[in-house]
Amino acid sequence: MTMDTLKTMWESIPPATPEDLAGARRRLLDGMHARRRVVTVPRLLVAAGVAAAVAVTPLFVGTGTSAYAVSRSPDGTLTVTLSGLRDPEGLEAELGKAGVKADVTFLEPGMRCVAPRFVGVDESYGGPPVDGPDELREQVRTVRSFKAIRASSGTFQIYPEYIKPHETLVLEFSDGENAQVLWRLGSWLAKAGSPVKPCTPVAMGN
Amino acid sequence: MTIPREVVELDDATLIESSLNEPEVFAVLFDRHAPQLHRYVTRRLGSSEAEDVVADTFLAAFQRRGHYDRGRPDARPWLYGIASNLIGKRRRAETNLYRAYIRSGVHPAEIPGGQVENGINTLAVNRPLAQALLRLTRADRDVLLLVAWAELSYQEVADALSIPLGTVASRLNRARLQIRQTLEQEGHAE
Repeated sequence: MTMDTLKTMWESIPPATPEDLAGARRRLLDGMHARRRVVTVPRLLVAAGVAAAVAVTPLFVGTGTSAYAVSRSPDGTLTVTLSGLRDPEGLEAELGKAGVKADVTFLEPGMRCVAPRFVGVDESYGGPPVDGPDELREQVRTVRSFKAIRASSGTFQIYPEYIKPHETLVLEFSDGENAQVLWRLGSWLAKAGSPVKPCTPVAMGN
Repeated sequence: MTIPREVVELDDATLIESSLNEPEVFAVLFDRHAPQLHRYVTRRLGSSEAEDVVADTFLAAFQRRGHYDRGRPDARPWLYGIASNLIGKRRRAETNLYRAYIRSGVHPAEIPGGQVENGINTLAVNRPLAQALLRLTRADRDVLLLVAWAELSYQEVADALSIPLGTVASRLNRARLQIRQTLEQEGHAE
């Protein structure tokens, strides 16, 4: 009984709100970055949208600060560093020079492209809705579209070995909503022979 | 940085492991556990100290994440253990808070008017409880409040404080006995 009484003591004190925690969160983020100039990029996964033509989006939240650059490592992996969302054609051209046919779209914050714009090589684009986090995680592990690109250390990597000839790597970046999030990225592979239509922007969640 | 609301639920151990390569993933752990940790620290130290303790806890955890035992999917014992050490360094703030409560009957972080109906009864029980908490040793108080307020299991408390399970049980017994005696003196034990 003692324990029950104690449990009710000051129990009306609520859990902290995001506002209560903003300062502590800021300090954590600052502390994380103290030892690195280039901020790293988490690979965050979201299930995007519902109903028809669902695009499963592995969402990368970028916080890098340097201008975009494409470099190739000896194993063929391409490393792309990107800050502001300018000049999508320039990035496409850079990727093209590196041997990856890409379609790059830069969107305003909170926007996405109306799907479908192309025929995806796997269920990550236009497939059925994902049934829960486990399935999404499984897809991320096994689906080729997801293997072809991943983010880490302020950049993202493209693994050309997962991209077959004449397939298009489709990248949809949306501008970050604040100074910390520079961009968010959805990425998929379009089938060889499937043209990628221009993007019609629409608000996320529509 | 904004973590999307729809982030796939990965267990804490997986997040911590991912954060080794992608440090910002660690913020997901913050968003998951900071609200309740803040509440726990607020109950013990008041809200002005809570923000600092929460920030220091997560910074320390971030620095030590490479040593995290990946066999433990739930990081709460780890985080509350770090927080317990930090609370221990602010013992005076804690005792001051209990003393102030005994004097005024008001915890600085309680929502005003939240318990008007039984406010007097609550106060009549909480005052002796605050007195009893004040008298406990730091080690006994840590164990007792990790169970009562942080709702950790005995095993989780043992993990949090790096003490044997038997020590958790003995500290808890001693603390409960002391609380009961204080309440009895005040005529509130059941």
